[in-house]
Amino acid sequence: MLELKNLHAEVEGEGIEILKGVNLKVSKGEIHAIMGPNGSGKSTLSKVVAGHPHYEVTKGDILYNGESILEMDPDERAHAGIFLAFQYPVEVPGVTNTTLLRESYNTIAASRGREELDPLEFDDYIKEKLSLVEMNPDFLERSVNTGFSGGEKKRNEIFQMAVLQPTLSLLDETDSGLDIDALRIVSDGINKLHGDHDAIVLITHYQRLLNYIIPDHVHVMINGRIVKTGGKELALELEEKGYDWLESLETVNGEAK
Amino acid sequence: MAHPTRIEPSVLHKLAMHAPESGNRLWTGIREKSMMTLNSTAFPNKKIEEWKFTDLKLISRTPFVRTGQAETIPAQNIEKYFIPESDRSRLVFINGIFQEGYSSIGGLGKGVTVGNLSAYARNKIVQAYLNKLVNYENDLFTAYNGLMFEDGAFIHLEPGARAEAPIQILNLYTDSEKPFIANPRILIVADTDSDATVIEEHIGLSENVYMTIPVCEVKVKQRAHIHHVRIQRDGQNAIHMSRPIAYVEKNSEYHSYTITLGAKLSRNEPRVIQEDEEVNFTMDGLVLIDGEQVADTHSLMDHRFSHANSHQLHKVVVNGSAHSIFNGKIFVRRDAQKIDSFQENRNLLLSADGLVNTKPQLEIFADDVLCSHGATIGQLDPEEVFYLQSRGMTEEKAKEVLTYAFALETIENVKVDSVHKLLIDEVYRYTRANSKPKKVLV
Repeated sequence: MLELKNLHAEVEGEGIEILKGVNLKVSKGEIHAIMGPNGSGKSTLSKVVAGHPHYEVTKGDILYNGESILEMDPDERAHAGIFLAFQYPVEVPGVTNTTLLRESYNTIAASRGREELDPLEFDDYIKEKLSLVEMNPDFLERSVNTGFSGGEKKRNEIFQMAVLQPTLSLLDETDSGLDIDALRIVSDGINKLHGDHDAIVLITHYQRLLNYIIPDHVHVMINGRIVKTGGKELALELEEKGYDWLESLETVNGEAK
Repeated sequence: MAHPTRIEPSVLHKLAMHAPESGNRLWTGIREKSMMTLNSTAFPNKKIEEWKFTDLKLISRTPFVRTGQAETIPAQNIEKYFIPESDRSRLVFINGIFQEGYSSIGGLGKGVTVGNLSAYARNKIVQAYLNKLVNYENDLFTAYNGLMFEDGAFIHLEPGARAEAPIQILNLYTDSEKPFIANPRILIVADTDSDATVIEEHIGLSENVYMTIPVCEVKVKQRAHIHHVRIQRDGQNAIHMSRPIAYVEKNSEYHSYTITLGAKLSRNEPRVIQEDEEVNFTMDGLVLIDGEQVADTHSLMDHRFSHANSHQLHKVVVNGSAHSIFNGKIFVRRDAQKIDSFQENRNLLLSADGLVNTKPQLEIFADDVLCSHGATIGQLDPEEVFYLQSRGMTEEKAKEVLTYAFALETIENVKVDSVHKLLIDEVYRYTRANSKPKKVLV
């Protein structure tokens, strides 16, 4: 479904390279976890895949369902089924959650050949999705993320994911800022949404989340590269040993390439 | 202080000096007083601090004529500007002249007088207040109006009277062969415990050049409430120089919302003067400009007594090579303690050629006050645009939604449904037309 080939990216116009040759392959039905220390490029990776204009891909490619998406705008990528749950969801005062979601749902539906929903149908549809993340219906009429607590914002991201039904979800530190109950609710929601036809990439610092969402593959990212890949047990090893033992690995790899 | 220098009287000056005499003594008195200002005041220029950013060449170079000689074209289909809620509480003026046939004033209940000023020239309230509340030092524009106005709107609320419907004051400006000047006036006197909502509108029906100089006087007596919505939709080549001033007495409330959409050049100088303790007032503004529009707001909130709550949120969206000027004066006099005053000017700049000048001006002589103020100038936040794009909106749509959301806040307090809807439509129309930054054609 997603294939990153020797992906290099830098901050647009600043020449600071952040991704230094990432290779990754994600198939339908899989859950991948990308872990790594602060500043290793994890969040950048998710933004680059979603098409953030702040970053420029200088080398390599992003293939989605076998085709390069480098030339696609973020909205076109969303239409194609890519979803990014933001680490810091943006507040949009004056635009209600319902308005945003109906607009999003219908544009995505139109571009993917699904039927658009009228306001009443949409109302029924999102009420059902609300229960998935145990959110109060009041949220629907509030401005997007405005005045939400950190945990509420994260839950709202997963709620949006539930509504938009993406095929590839990039969840950027969705676990940070969640207390233990919220973490359970959010994880349950993600697990229910995941099936054979979609894939999830979790970006996280902590192994904690992976107790609830069991990844098929775990990758360690350091200094703009994936330096180690393993099964779910790799996460436990990282929890125990930290990242230091991998830093040397990165250097060796770096020089080897 | 402007120095009277030897200057050639402009066309405007001449028109004002030789305005036709008025039949009633009240008007004559106002004309005499205005003539003194005219004779002692030079036409403003950019060397004067108050006019530093606003070029008035457009005014001094335009060959204005009297409305009667402007070859105005009769207005058509003006019913579409009527607010349904004001079906029986509407005053219509065309080019400053009262239109009895289009007006309707039967529906306001006991104790509410609504009419045109010239019909009430002998009314005690009109005699007591008209032109007495105008307090703009060395201001030629109020003098022009004083010399040339013929009529205006009059609203009087007796003690305890409540206007059952919003009162619409509809000022329309028609197409014309030659540029003309209109001089609308409004006098609102709200006696103790009274309550009214007033919708003041200025609408240009075509693209001709005209100048309107609305002077509005408001007196809010003890415990009275006035909700004043001002919508400026003048024509794209029009000049709008408005002077609305309100005096607020003990325990009264005056809330004004000014929406500036039209005119090539506008200068709005709202003022609220506190006359006693325990008052609550608002002076919010929304400016949406584009092309080569210049919109200038010079406001004053004058706190003269203790215990006042005042609020000013002034939001501006600029596109094209439009230019916004904001100067927000907040005075807190020495004995005015326990003042809670809020001022915020937020500017959204959509284009590289737009220009914003903003100057919060706080002069505080009391020591126990809470005055917050802030001014920001910014573009749409790229993170917000990306967020909406990642949810499937095109860049254009995302910008439209964000601009709309930015502007919406200032009109939320407009409680008259049809007016609220009209403003939402106007904001929407503006954002639709301006979701792409506009390049200026050279």
